[in-house]
Amino acid sequence: MTPTGPRPYANPYVAGTALGLVLLGAFVFAGRGLGASGAFASVAAATAHAVAPASTASNTYFAGYLADGARPWTDWLVLELAGAMAGAWMSARLAGRTALVIERGAGVAASARLAMAAAGGGVMGAGAVFARGCTSGQALSGGAVLSPGSWLFIAGAFGAAYVTAPILRRVWR
Amino acid sequence: MTTNRVLAFVALVLAAGAMVVGRPSTTPPGHIDVDRLAAMIAHEDDHVTAVELGTWLRDGKPGLRVIDVRPKADFDEYHLPHAENVPLPSIGKASFRPDETLVLYSDGGAHAAQAWVMLRSLGFTNVYFLRGGLGEWLDDVMTPMLPTDATPAEREAFRKIADLSTYFGGTPGVGPRPPASSTSEKVKAMRRRGC
Amino acid sequence: MTTFALPLVIGVAFGWTLERAGLGSARKLVGQFYLRDLTVFKVMFSALVTAMLGLFWLGRLGVIDLAAVYVPQTFVAPQSLGGVLFGVGFVVSGLCPGTSCVAAATGRLDGVATVAGMFAGVLLTGLALPSIWTFYESTPRGAVTLPDALRLPYGAVVFGVVLAALVGFQIAERLERRA
Repeated sequence: MTPTGPRPYANPYVAGTALGLVLLGAFVFAGRGLGASGAFASVAAATAHAVAPASTASNTYFAGYLADGARPWTDWLVLELAGAMAGAWMSARLAGRTALVIERGAGVAASARLAMAAAGGGVMGAGAVFARGCTSGQALSGGAVLSPGSWLFIAGAFGAAYVTAPILRRVWR
Repeated sequence: MTTNRVLAFVALVLAAGAMVVGRPSTTPPGHIDVDRLAAMIAHEDDHVTAVELGTWLRDGKPGLRVIDVRPKADFDEYHLPHAENVPLPSIGKASFRPDETLVLYSDGGAHAAQAWVMLRSLGFTNVYFLRGGLGEWLDDVMTPMLPTDATPAEREAFRKIADLSTYFGGTPGVGPRPPASSTSEKVKAMRRRGC
Repeated sequence: MTTFALPLVIGVAFGWTLERAGLGSARKLVGQFYLRDLTVFKVMFSALVTAMLGLFWLGRLGVIDLAAVYVPQTFVAPQSLGGVLFGVGFVVSGLCPGTSCVAAATGRLDGVATVAGMFAGVLLTGLALPSIWTFYESTPRGAVTLPDALRLPYGAVVFGVVLAALVGFQIAERLERRA
């Protein structure tokens, strides 16, 4: 490993404050908070519409993303998430932290890890639909504006995670 | 002081200040923000039509409360389905929850509009009024009339209103509306038509 | 033009800060739930507190109109269930929607897999949603806030949240030292 190597991460409180300022900026300049799962919903709606427009039109959930004047492929959140990927890549590049790798615990093989990542993603997707958001949209943004539903989401998510973690201890060793 | 301590100190000071100040807005309760309200009125965000209200009632819109601001005697004579009587003089003391959707009505709509301004000034955001008042409800929902020279498109649109009307025990009809002016006259005319 | 530029710029800042904080690493994220590395808690609540205080004071100083700021609608049952499902999925995959994109963008294939899984999860749930629509829209409370619901002054709730966060941070530091 080269002497310089990947740089250490920032102080979490400072990084968190910076993230909070980004969130505040979103509220001030765009009138809304950050989000992530909404982008997935928008793209899912656009995909469903492209594949089966007639039955998608009668789906009340997807119809919300396909209303008159909506741009589901370039929705606000889709653009925001695209920007996030660009920003993350730039930050990692500058800090020497980009790497084509499968991050996993010591207790699991690469293929199993990928399967679990996908499975976990699927369950999170379902959860995000019911909760109308995820850690970015509900926990951070909804939490900052003191929405009770968002705080319930935080409690449920953290609670369930702490209960599930011991079961997967060997995976994440 | 380390970075963390500085951050924590700043947060604590701002939070303590927030608690002292209490409210995150500059207008005190009861103060009328004229520009804001005028904009709402111009955008027609202030009222609902009788048909809209009827649809909300029929579909069971959650958190909906229909408030009759007329005197008790008028309320007892006739009132909208599920309506509650809060006469105008006591509107300030009424206990409404901020998450409820309030629709105010009176005979012609003027008193309801005044109550709307008052409730808005108290900070309620989900408040609307029936612009044409009880008269609009009786005309448009309870006794909607289809003109005899209506186009097929108009007939089709009328079908939905007629359904709404019969849901509330109203009597849709065809032809010109018989002349009637005051609300109580309309109520009597409606009752004479029977259900 | 600004309708496209603004979310992109905000997004870049969002992704940059998440990566800087180390939240693009599944192992780091999951360390939260084994009480090894409480970065997630520290970053999330620092961000929440910062934005919350910022909104309060900008509102108070008349810089922004808090009434114009979007507050999501509360649906007690579906959001609670959604949170629980989300938490389980989070521990299984080690990443959340935002951080999975950060991870994918920095070369982590587990991030890519999580993104794919999430897309499928959202699509399938969306397709099934009309049949459970009543549950999805149940227990609505409108766009209410905690101060409204608890019938407390806004500033008091803000103070309470900050206090709880600071206490939480102290506990987090202690837990990490023992790990």
